[in-house]
Order: sequence, then structure tokens, then C-alpha cells
Amino acid sequence: MRVAFVGKGGAGKSAIAGTFARLLARSGRPVLALDSDPMPGLAFSLGLRTSDAAIPEDAVEERAQGETGPRYRLRAGLSGAEAVDRYAREAPDGVRFLQFGKLRGQEPAMMRSQMAFRQIVQDLPEDRWDVVGDLPGGPRQAAFGWAPYARTLLLVVEPMTKSLLTGRRIARLAAGMKSAPAVLAVVNRVREPGDVERVKQATGLEVVGAVPWDEELAEAERRTLAPIDHAPASPAVRAIESLVHELAGESHR
Amino acid sequence: MKVAVVGKGGSGKTTTSAIVARTLGRRGLGVVALDCDTNPNLGISLGIGEVETDRLVSMRENLDEGAEQHAPGWNDLISRFGTDGPDGVRLAVVTRIENPEPG
Repeated sequence: MRVAFVGKGGAGKSAIAGTFARLLARSGRPVLALDSDPMPGLAFSLGLRTSDAAIPEDAVEERAQGETGPRYRLRAGLSGAEAVDRYAREAPDGVRFLQFGKLRGQEPAMMRSQMAFRQIVQDLPEDRWDVVGDLPGGPRQAAFGWAPYARTLLLVVEPMTKSLLTGRRIARLAAGMKSAPAVLAVVNRVREPGDVERVKQATGLEVVGAVPWDEELAEAERRTLAPIDHAPASPAVRAIESLVHELAGESHR
Repeated sequence: MKVAVVGKGGSGKTTTSAIVARTLGRRGLGVVALDCDTNPNLGISLGIGEVETDRLVSMRENLDEGAEQHAPGWNDLISRFGTDGPDGVRLAVVTRIENPEPG
């Protein structure tokens, strides 16, 4: 499975993505969790105390003269799988975590890091790793440029005007992509029976999950704990568990 | 007075900006609200509505497609890329939703 979570800033992408990755790993899958938001948040939702899981500068080289491809690549001899083994942090439940958009070192890092990251994900054998990505908020093009691995984009939408409008913008952009991935909606902070329908209407997307408003998740944030560690039996975590089952049942995701 | 509102996604930047702008407008000041977000929603929080907000966003996007000319100065920018909202606040959208997959 290769999914990436997108949506408006503050819609709850990281909390859902982190919980999703942990639950997927518990079901026995090898999971690589990728944070490509330059303002990192996924690490905390996974239960790591640090967000520092960047690729070191010396793992990335400028391409040699005469070589084709992107300007920067992993250093010669370093495969994507090795890069994960070496640089990805180990989160609870065996989830491996890489943070992208940052590079440890002096260079203006963004482009080097992006290209190395993209190569790592492309290199990984698909049957070996499930990938769960967390993307920057909003409809910025970067969101899509940074998740070429995703077979499915999971659009996290709150049933509120600005979130719905953002959701519609992202869905429209995704539909216009060359390699258009499937886009499914996950409704977050559901409070009323009509909320799911509201998202369906506004985005025109199939709704694959509905996560209820849950004070326990807010409390987890206040205490810097992963939702799954703070409140494993909470309604929100249960709902994300259903989402995992729903998606894992369809191997093409 | 020139203020800019910043913060994490979802922390309430747009809502705060809109309320500050309308409050200043109600006090009789001439207010321009600039939406500089790559996800431009300020029109919604100002009470201008989805249709008019989207119209401004499309106008801004037409610039890049060459269907619209750049504004040579501030006054022209505010008049052509702006719209009048409640409490005398003038909204202009100055960012665009970028297209996916650049090169």
C-alpha cells in the first residue's frame, strides 16, 4: 500500500497519518512513514520524541558530468533500501520514519533533500514496504511533486467551509495530474450526522473513512503523545483502524 | 498600519485576519486585506462568499496564463484584483494555487 495524506493545514493529516502507520504496522505490514512537510508533525503522532530523521548531507551527491537524471541523487553505491536502513528512525510498532524537506548540513537543502527522498522511495521494492506519507497543508503544487509514490491520496477534510473549499481545490488539482492517483476523502472531526454527506457533496469524492471529533486527540496533542499511545481505545483511533482495514483489503491502493 | 498574520496551518490565521480587518473597517479606517496564502480563503472569513472568492482566485491565475495583464502599481492591483467586502474592507488576492507537477 502506498498512500499519502493531504488536506488543509490543521485538518488533522499528521494525527491520522501517524495513527494509520502504527495500526498498519500492527497488522504485520512493514511500514515506512514519510513526513514531507517542512513544518514537521508526523514524528509526534507516531510516538517519536524527536522530529529529526533527515538524510545526512553526505548521503546526497550532485550528479556526475555526463550522467542523466535529476541534479542530485543518492551517493554512488547507496540504494534506497540501504538509505532507509541507515537513516530512517525506528518508531514504535516497527514503523520506520524518514523526514523529508530537511537535510542535515549547511547546504540550501530543499532541492537536494527532495531529489534524494524521491529516489529512495522510487528505489524501494513495493512488495517490501508499505508507504504512508504526510504532505504539507493546502493545495500547493509541492504537495503533489513530493508524493509521486502515492497510489492513493487520502484527502483529510473537516466539514467546515474553508476545509471543504480547500478539499475541492486539491481534488481538482489531483484530477489534473499526469499520473492521477486515486483520491479518496477521509472526513475528520465529525460531529453531526450530516457531516459526511457535506464532504461528499462539496468534494465530489468517495468517502472512505470518518473520524469523529474526539477530545482525547486534543489531549494527546497537549501532552505531546501519539494518539494511539495516549488513547488506544478512543473513538477516533478506532475509526482510523477501520480506515486501515478498508484500505488494506484492497491491495491495489 | 501594516500587519501580517502568520502561524501554523489551522491555527486561525485567516479567521483572525478577517476579524481584525473588519474591526478596523468598522472604526472608519480604510482597510485593504491581502490574501497571500497559497490556499486563499480570506474571502470566506471576511464574508465575501465562495463565488466571489473563487472569482478573485481565477483572476489571479489568469495572470499566469497570459489572459490577464499584470498590474503596474498598487492602486491598479487593488482595483483590478480586489473586491469590496463588508465594513468597507477591500480584499485582494495576490497568490495563486499553483499547478501540480512543475517540471
